[in-house]
Amino acid sequence: MTEATTFKAESPAREAWRMFRRNIPAVAGVIMLTGIVLATLWGTFFYDGNPYEIVWAPHEPPGVTPEFPLGTDYLGRDIFAGLIAGGGPTLAVGAAAAAITMVIGVSLGALAGFYGGWVDNLLMRITEFFQVLPTLLFAMVLVTLFSPTLFTIAMAIGVVSWPQTARLTRAEVMKIKELEYVTAARAIGARNRRIIWTVILPNAAPPLIVSATLTIGVAILFEAGLSFLGLGDPNTMSWGLMIGSNRAYILDAWWPVTFPGLAIFLTVFSVSLIGDGLNDAFNPKLRER
Amino acid sequence: MSALLQIEDLRVTFNTRYGPVTALDSVSLSVNAGETLGVVGESGCGKSITALSVMGLIPSPPGKIAGGAIRLAGEDLTQASEARMRALRGAEMAMIFQEPMTSLNPVFTVGDQIAEAIMLHQKVSADQAFRDAVALLDRVGIPSPDRRARDYPHQLSGGMRQRVMIAMAVSCRPKVLIADEPTTALDVTVQAQIFDLLNEIQRDFGAAIILITHDMGAISEMADRVAVMYAGRVIEQGRADDVLDLPQHPYTRGLISCIPALGKGEDTLREIPGVVPPLHMLGAGCAFADRCAYRAPRCDSEKPQLQAHGHHPVACHAVEEGRI
Amino acid sequence: MTPSYLLRRLFYGLLLMLGVVVLNFLLIRLAPGDPAVVIAGEMGGADEALLAAIRADYGLDKPVLTQLGIYIGNVLQGDLGQSFFFNQPVATLIGDRIGPTILLVLCAQVLSILLGVFLGVIAARKPNGVLSGFVSVFATIGYAVPVFWTGIMLIILFASVFPIFPVEGMQSVRLRDAGFMIRALDVAHHLVLPAFTLALIYLAQYARLSRASMLEVLGSDYIRTARAKGASERSVLFKHALRNASLPILTVAGLQFGNLISGALLVETVFNWPGMGRLAFDSILRRDYPTIMGVLFFASAMVVVANLLTDLSYRLADPRLRGKS
Repeated sequence: MTEATTFKAESPAREAWRMFRRNIPAVAGVIMLTGIVLATLWGTFFYDGNPYEIVWAPHEPPGVTPEFPLGTDYLGRDIFAGLIAGGGPTLAVGAAAAAITMVIGVSLGALAGFYGGWVDNLLMRITEFFQVLPTLLFAMVLVTLFSPTLFTIAMAIGVVSWPQTARLTRAEVMKIKELEYVTAARAIGARNRRIIWTVILPNAAPPLIVSATLTIGVAILFEAGLSFLGLGDPNTMSWGLMIGSNRAYILDAWWPVTFPGLAIFLTVFSVSLIGDGLNDAFNPKLRER
Repeated sequence: MSALLQIEDLRVTFNTRYGPVTALDSVSLSVNAGETLGVVGESGCGKSITALSVMGLIPSPPGKIAGGAIRLAGEDLTQASEARMRALRGAEMAMIFQEPMTSLNPVFTVGDQIAEAIMLHQKVSADQAFRDAVALLDRVGIPSPDRRARDYPHQLSGGMRQRVMIAMAVSCRPKVLIADEPTTALDVTVQAQIFDLLNEIQRDFGAAIILITHDMGAISEMADRVAVMYAGRVIEQGRADDVLDLPQHPYTRGLISCIPALGKGEDTLREIPGVVPPLHMLGAGCAFADRCAYRAPRCDSEKPQLQAHGHHPVACHAVEEGRI
Repeated sequence: MTPSYLLRRLFYGLLLMLGVVVLNFLLIRLAPGDPAVVIAGEMGGADEALLAAIRADYGLDKPVLTQLGIYIGNVLQGDLGQSFFFNQPVATLIGDRIGPTILLVLCAQVLSILLGVFLGVIAARKPNGVLSGFVSVFATIGYAVPVFWTGIMLIILFASVFPIFPVEGMQSVRLRDAGFMIRALDVAHHLVLPAFTLALIYLAQYARLSRASMLEVLGSDYIRTARAKGASERSVLFKHALRNASLPILTVAGLQFGNLISGALLVETVFNWPGMGRLAFDSILRRDYPTIMGVLFFASAMVVVANLLTDLSYRLADPRLRGKS
């Protein structure tokens, strides 16, 4: 051992970013998702095609008329316009629902994991209770009871999806709580709330970030399922709704359901590629196995 | 007549992220029926790799046997088919592992696990195999073996589990028994019991034992002959008494002086300074040079070969040149 | 497995069901508007006599706690209320439809676990092999595909391109009077596409999970011991490793059951499968709350039972948990 090896110190976040950048599927996911988001932003603010307007003969196949590259649906509405207009609500509800899921899940999970004892017991019983309710059915009930708007839909998805996040957070917090730097923070007299926010949660961030990413994907699928069933906001176009309303005519025309489905798939697929990439980047050891 | 198990010039390489490294380099060992060969060295010196090579259990990839031969009663195991190796494993040669806590499958009863070993190599009914397993548990000194055979590993203590491992290993009366640090995880009184048991087993079954350990005390108690390994090479080899009484290689001397001598008034445990170098960082010279008090320029440029000197073979330039 | 443990688990399950009943009760009252109107749904909106009957039946003029007591009492007697849309008791409605749902869900569960675990085990033999890569990609795709869309795509495929499987319903009309075996085969024939659609998502997840779990187990000491005994590769994989690797798979299978029921809801709608999912869909469109609440109750009960079974099988599979509580 004649030559000394030097290691350049690197912050964990930087190292994760370096790993992430080299992960081809993850980068592809980022590019794909950026493209989808930009397209929907453009659609929401600049595109003037009306997805509701009957513009052509019904069931025009894709690639025949240049103005309607993806064809028309059973009423003769432009499918491309529908895709562009439907992306915004789908993505917005997905992101909002994921945010609500994370807020509820992380708060309850952190409380349960940090305080333990009866708090933990109570919160975990509640979590178990919520896990017994079939998510989609419960969300359907909530949406129907409180009339479907983008807000209630996001709320409903959040209210039924948080238990997994809560369990994950609780497990992470319980693990980190025992580590020395938490004891150190206690020793200098930090208060509980401060310890949770400034010491424990930042250290629990990597798995929570991964989970948040994957939650976005699940929430988008969820929103699509609800709108497919006709339980979406009746005043907005969405990908799930396009599939649902054209479902009766699938044997006459495949394209009105295929393209919105592909849009949902590609969005969730790119989100999960990013999630997997983040997971690998935060746990480099897992990959070497 | 050649020995029962003869390892000749064995070379094992591993593909790592630092490129291919040589884990074993021209290792030659032999052991006769009824004899115990001790293999000593610190962790990472290639003892376990040697044992796994004999068993044909080198994880491959990344590992592979790159040269040499392992002859069991004349048959070269490095050339044997996987099916042939399966037939030999457990029947002709068996292994006891270091970690009795994790070496038994947690979801099967210990009796079933021993019976499985029997049924893999002998044409007996499941009932007969289980009765044999109970008898073996009795033989290795487990009280109320009938009941214990129906226990799961987690219900037994570490010493008990190691006895189960021994029972499993000797269930088909193997010719060669490899014990890889069989007592490391156990407390001292249990260690002595396990060694006694191995000695008895050897008397009864006439097996050749290869005892792998880093514990010179165990060697002096068990071994007829001993091979000292360092960084994938055998650096000193001979009759156990000779090597223990008149160690030649500076490393062997270091190992022996690490044994706490009772009653000599030493209150500090001595140890050899430094660590075994990682295999990917081995240079052209002697692997021990960094830690050696007798280091000379030649030690950094040329690997010493194992050659007869004094009572027994040793691989050291300093010994060869008479500097020690 | 001690009887007292079993009793405790059963009691806990019942407690969870009681929770679902209370939740149902609360949901009706939290909904904006007169509970009687909510219960009557779209059909009863105008009819004062019906509303009066509902108020009397549910005790809506009494204090809230009394109302809750009446509601729980009704449920305990098997009375989940009356569907004013279908004009039938909710319990009867669900009783007619729970069988097909259980059939669909169980088939999908068994199919996805068997196929998924098999794929995962085979993939684990070569962690960097082609099949391993396929399992990872397939799992990510399976996670990202909306299940109802998969169903629709399969319908398009099998209705127009390869018409070998029926794409709708559970029975052929022309075979309704045939013998039992013929009808059973007919149902199985109808079951292929919906069960496969539902299984596809979870199949991918089980494959990924069992691959990871197997890789971890295959690195453990007792696998080396099994090899050192001379056990064959198949015995090492399927006997020694899989038994241990199945523990996390079991856990996930239990947790997934609720999601599986949610998926079944969509799949039943797509394939016109005459189960609880169709019923939920129809009753939600009609705002038939007693039926919706009944479906929620029974679907939750299925999850509770599934969790109980998972817990018990976990104890059977892992001797370390037996005798502990």
